[in-house]
Amino acid sequence: MSKIMPVDILSSIKGAKSSEAVDKLFEVIKNAETNQNSSNQNAKNAVSIDDLRADVVENSSEITKQIIKENFPKEKDGYLVVSKVIEG
Amino acid sequence: MESQIQKIHNQLVAKEFTCTALVQVKLALLKENKYNSVNTVLEELALEAAAKVDVKIANGEEIGLLEGIPFGIKDVYMVQGTYTSASSDLLKNYKSAYTATAIQKLLDAGAIPMAKENCDSFGHGSSSENTVFGSVKNAVDTSLVAGGSSGGSAVNVAANYTVFSIGGDTGGSIRQPAGYNKIYGLKPTYGRVSRYGLMAYASSTDTVGPLAKSIEDVAIVMNVISGKDAKDQTSVVSEEIKAEVVASKPEGVKVGYFKNFIENDAIDATIKADFLATIEKVKSAGYEVQELDFFNADTLVSTYYTLAMAETASNLSRLDGTNYGNRIEDKNLKETYMLTRSENFTEETKRRIVGGNQVLSQGFSDAIYLKGQELRKEIEAAFEADFNKVAIILSPVTPGPVPKIGEVLSNPHAMYLSDAYTVGFSLGQLPTLTCPFGTETGIQVTGAKNKEQTILQFANFLNQVQ
Repeated sequence: MSKIMPVDILSSIKGAKSSEAVDKLFEVIKNAETNQNSSNQNAKNAVSIDDLRADVVENSSEITKQIIKENFPKEKDGYLVVSKVIEG
Repeated sequence: MESQIQKIHNQLVAKEFTCTALVQVKLALLKENKYNSVNTVLEELALEAAAKVDVKIANGEEIGLLEGIPFGIKDVYMVQGTYTSASSDLLKNYKSAYTATAIQKLLDAGAIPMAKENCDSFGHGSSSENTVFGSVKNAVDTSLVAGGSSGGSAVNVAANYTVFSIGGDTGGSIRQPAGYNKIYGLKPTYGRVSRYGLMAYASSTDTVGPLAKSIEDVAIVMNVISGKDAKDQTSVVSEEIKAEVVASKPEGVKVGYFKNFIENDAIDATIKADFLATIEKVKSAGYEVQELDFFNADTLVSTYYTLAMAETASNLSRLDGTNYGNRIEDKNLKETYMLTRSENFTEETKRRIVGGNQVLSQGFSDAIYLKGQELRKEIEAAFEADFNKVAIILSPVTPGPVPKIGEVLSNPHAMYLSDAYTVGFSLGQLPTLTCPFGTETGIQVTGAKNKEQTILQFANFLNQVQ
């Protein structure tokens, strides 16, 4: 079995294929020269461990729960309905 | 222009009109508007909030500066109980279950939410034509595009339908429509304003910022919406922007501009001449101006779009019609996902999702995505070096004039290239203000990270010498 997954499957979009406009952007990146030394920069955007949010479950308000249920595309007896479970 | 917020505040306190009367006038304008700038008018919420302000004034209670001030919200922000469509078919009937932090802060300050504003779908565009609610028309000339993606927000401010609006800027989406509609628009330092409750486009450059008619109003709104938020772990602590500093003359400031932005064939001749005339005014006022070298526009645009597409493909993968959204049933769950996404995303959104999945897939990720990340690091390092030499960098907002409606979407590559002067500052996560003068599409004032006060102060000086 091929390991290459086509972009329509990857994107879950029927008939999707690469576009000329976007490919032109990628060509610029492929051909760009980079300074190999830049990779040793620190990961400046990393979040400090002291800033991490407490790992606790917070209960949503009743109004939030009600709206989430209103947003269900298909609902039966308060449960979310999906069409079929994917097999294997 | 003077502060509209301060002016209306004074009028409300002096009882020249009631807040309800003010809101009713604005609601009528928003409903009748000829620009397609609004997706949902928040009539009930606005009138309810206005009545509370009127009770306080009638009781002789003091009101805050933002209390009773009507504002607009780009339709990518959650406001509990309101539709948040991202101008897409998929989420046309999606109701926010909670409220974005930036918007909640404004509501807590008593500002009046007036409308969810039309924009490019999921922020994917530079003209506000990529929307299922119809193209937004420019407030100055309705044959022209409004700019994007926060086009509706810019138009509502320019047309006086809102006093200020909250837009979102990932690669220029506040700055470019601000310039196209001749108002101010600030992309803050990344993290200065919490992204919690903003529908994600590209998480590493998404920012929340104001559009307004005066520098003072930009500062007032920023002071309310800024701050660290436990719900967005990339948010940062910031200092207050002081009005008296912004109003004072900047002293000893060195100014730079990117020579290669100006010395190339892509820039419109009038924009180039007008920009250089502004540089001369800065020099005449006694400031030292340096020409700087920078990455070429092709590299900036390609780096930005490569990374933004990868991030948006990932962020939008959750939109499959299972828990919410306009699900279209097919023979099984997998086919339902595909049909739902194929039918509900616009062509431009699909183009970006597919591009993003391409760069993230095996065989492409090293040559394109990881190389794009390398280039971004180099761009950030170049900015750091530049801000050791100068405090302010000036640049045009766009290389060309405002396009006519219909010209942009037909040529996506040209649309991407039109963002040449805005995307670099997004990659650098730098604060940048668009001012409605200097060139036809405005001028950008950029500073180092967290230097919002410095750029507003310099913009105030530029405004005075126009």
